[in-house]
Amino acid sequence: MEAVDDSESSQMCNLAVLDSLNEDLIGEIDDSWNGFCLSTEALLKGNGDLSFASDFVKQVQNLCSRGLDSLVIEHFLGSLEETFEKNGASRFWRHFDAYGDLAVLEMNDQDQQDEIQQVLHNALEEISSEKQYQEKCLSLLVHALQTYRENKSDGQISSDAKCNLLFSKYHLTLSSVLMTSLPRHFPDVLHWYFKGRLEELSTIMATGYEDDSALQAEDEMDLDEKSKLSCRTGKMDIDGSHLHGIFLGNNKLVKNIGMLVRDLRNLGFTSMAEDAYASAIFFLLKTKVHELAGDDYRSSVLESIKRWIQAVPLQFLHALLAYLGDSKSNGSPSSGLKSPLASYPSSDYYGTGTPSEGLVRWQLRLEYFAYETLQDLRIAKLFEIIVDYPDSSPAIEDLKQCLEYTGQHSKLVDSFISSLRYRLLTAGASTNDILHQYVSTIKALRSIDPAGVFLEAVGEPIREYLRGRKDTIKCIVTMLTDGAGGNPSGPGSTGDSLLEELNRDEENQENFGLDDDVNTDDKQAWINAQSWEPDPLEADPLKGSRYRRKVDILGMIVGIIGSKDQLINEYRVMLAEKLLNKSDYDIDSEIRTLELLKIHFGESSMQKCEIMLNDLIDSKRTNTNIKASIKQQPQPAADLREHEMSLDNINATIISTNFWPPIQDEALNVPGPVDQLLSDYAKRFHEVKTPRKLLWKKNLGTVKLELEFEDRVLQFTVTPLQASIIMQFQDKTSWTSKNLASAVGVPVDVLNRRINFWISKGILAESIEADSSDHKFTLVEALVDSGKTAANVGSCEELLGVDEDGERSVASVEDQLHKEMTVYEKFITGMLTNFGSMALDRIHNTLKMFCIGDPSYDKSLQQLQSFLSGLVTEEKLELREGMYFLKK
Amino acid sequence: MGNQLGGDFLVAGGSERTERESFGICNLGTRYESQDFTWHAVASWTWDAQDETCGICRMAFDGCCPDCKLPGDDCPLIWGACNHAFHLHCILKWVNSQTPQAHCPMCRREWQFKG
Repeated sequence: MEAVDDSESSQMCNLAVLDSLNEDLIGEIDDSWNGFCLSTEALLKGNGDLSFASDFVKQVQNLCSRGLDSLVIEHFLGSLEETFEKNGASRFWRHFDAYGDLAVLEMNDQDQQDEIQQVLHNALEEISSEKQYQEKCLSLLVHALQTYRENKSDGQISSDAKCNLLFSKYHLTLSSVLMTSLPRHFPDVLHWYFKGRLEELSTIMATGYEDDSALQAEDEMDLDEKSKLSCRTGKMDIDGSHLHGIFLGNNKLVKNIGMLVRDLRNLGFTSMAEDAYASAIFFLLKTKVHELAGDDYRSSVLESIKRWIQAVPLQFLHALLAYLGDSKSNGSPSSGLKSPLASYPSSDYYGTGTPSEGLVRWQLRLEYFAYETLQDLRIAKLFEIIVDYPDSSPAIEDLKQCLEYTGQHSKLVDSFISSLRYRLLTAGASTNDILHQYVSTIKALRSIDPAGVFLEAVGEPIREYLRGRKDTIKCIVTMLTDGAGGNPSGPGSTGDSLLEELNRDEENQENFGLDDDVNTDDKQAWINAQSWEPDPLEADPLKGSRYRRKVDILGMIVGIIGSKDQLINEYRVMLAEKLLNKSDYDIDSEIRTLELLKIHFGESSMQKCEIMLNDLIDSKRTNTNIKASIKQQPQPAADLREHEMSLDNINATIISTNFWPPIQDEALNVPGPVDQLLSDYAKRFHEVKTPRKLLWKKNLGTVKLELEFEDRVLQFTVTPLQASIIMQFQDKTSWTSKNLASAVGVPVDVLNRRINFWISKGILAESIEADSSDHKFTLVEALVDSGKTAANVGSCEELLGVDEDGERSVASVEDQLHKEMTVYEKFITGMLTNFGSMALDRIHNTLKMFCIGDPSYDKSLQQLQSFLSGLVTEEKLELREGMYFLKK
Repeated sequence: MGNQLGGDFLVAGGSERTERESFGICNLGTRYESQDFTWHAVASWTWDAQDETCGICRMAFDGCCPDCKLPGDDCPLIWGACNHAFHLHCILKWVNSQTPQAHCPMCRREWQFKG
């Protein structure tokens, strides 16, 4: 068969040669060919025995002289491949057969780690020696060919090229043989190997900080050439000598890894090895980031991550690349191909030598990966981070830096919006909490993105949702006015900060004004123009430029409601409530808040509130004047007896009704002596302030009283109604509810509701009369059950009873609105009778069109909608598929 | 707010303890007494004019004239001899613009401030 091959290939070379062939020559060629084949086989199987070498060389030269050199090479390579496949590759892979399943399993086991390391090293050693031997054989062939050519005085250069070609052909064959028979789990095995080594390395690095000197001394004994090289660089190092000291301790480890990588490279696994250690490094980095970042948002972790990158993976790579000789070959850092960030001050990590380009690339890669990992981690937890915002600002700062590198802001927006929808914007969350979170979000995102572009996107769902809630305005006003935030369960400080926000805003506006002035300066204008930056890509062009889009928390909060008028109105109601329940005239904090609000909303819109506060100040003055006028006029002797309770016990808040929100007026018969005092007070007011008169709102105000029993003294602060009730019991210790109600001057049901206060305090007892519709209330003289009211013994203070039953002295905004809207009920009914059915929009527009007289229609669509839904619940209207009908 | 109220309350109680003897209204033969006692009432004031609004500016009497910001003492009412009332600022403007003799804008009688 070889003979046929022989003649065939010769034919292809030169047909003329065939003619000159005779029987002897063919026999000779056949002989030497057979000899060559035999010696080749013997050589390759010889396992280092080179006794066939001379024979082999002779045969080769013999065949070459017949012009069969290409055939020789082909055959030799073929048999090399065959042998390698049989001896090298299959045996190599058989080492890893055991890990086919295990590779997927947990590899944390130390024994297994060691085992795999051992196996890998052994296998590589074996296959490398096999390869070395084959290379030796190949070089024998090359040598033979070369000597033959030299005899024929061929060019030296071409034969060199030919020899290189031969070797590279061999290597290609080798790696393709390995690749084709590659078991699927081998990359995994490599990955686990590198992972294990790196973990070992990083633990050594972590612990090495303490005992590095000892390690260094110990390891300097067995330094070989390579580590001496790094040792020298380490000694030249000034800044990083500490790290290098530790690192020397790991040189052996790195050298082992380096050897392995080099072996793998030689086998043609360059990219696979690189993938394996890259993925191991990334894996380690990821674990490190997760470990460092964790769930603690109170400290910045970015710096320590960077430090770790320099300390462990980069040192490792540095040593590895140095070992593989890459750092030399990769050109000087001054070359034009430098990566754009190479000027980044990274050169001091590795001592005086500038890092190779490969290393810089690695560093950038690792840092980017770290940024991305940290960013993903933080974005996923952004909701929690923002929940404890002021404390978690380091985490926000980290995130900001990460985003500057990665630019994946849209990821943040998407993920945060979805977590908002899932966790915050649900029926279970209180409006207060949502608002607090909104404020924290604004603050946190403001530091990430001062232009407010992403805030716009993130805030929209929250605003949308809050608009649908009825108590939003109330909560906002509470947050604005109450220092405590009005929500004991929520984070207490955020409420405070909204008030602070008012303060901050004030400063901002001053600065803003200053900026405007400076802008008129041409030079400054030029500087401003130069510092202009385009909006981020994600910016919505409809929302205007960044200069108009100032991030202003109050503005954004007001933006939820839509108009400041509603907010102010609600504030007025709340202020009225607060002022009417004040028993002293201390309004300093209210004045402060009002001043701040005036700055933000303008003086004219806060006019009414200012008058309300002014009323309080005037009341205080008037009150003092009236008291003083009593002292001036000596009281007649008869009066003294009569006035056992004097005007000293009466204080009054005198209001200008027109500027206050509508006040709920309920009839009430105050006890006779008090009534007398009140009319005295009014008389004196008339004297002091002629011709003005006082009109008492007897149901409003507060009463402080002290009840003295046989065994205890109790103090209460209650509403006038409650005071009137309990004072009735002075004359008569037992009342039926009907009689009591008529004595106090309120309906029975109101009385029953209000008297509960005294019953719950254990002052009165309720019993049902024989006539079951009537209740009887009796004064509890002494404490029978001491345990029940033990807390009340002694001087006890109570909060206003008002708060408990939610009775308000001022009509709420909804009530006012409802009252105003009832005017339009007739119009709406008329419309619906004519048109049959109408949509909300149409009703709104029709009202706007036709109700221009007195009062003109000025309500918003939402207000109309809530009024209409009120009518639906009253069963006056019907709502079907967005259309309103008259209920028949 | 609760704490604040409570604190004030104690202070008020202390200051009025001295007057405890002076009002014994609760001491009407019963065995308990309310002694420490402050009634903080709420009232509204009115000018008590016959009309609701000022005939000159058409603003409420109990409010203030268009030039004023604060009602009450800062923007008082004034009655003429004819018993018609106006915001002081409004009628002064009117009187000053009418020479030599001003008349009441409502009844055309000679304007004189009511004694």
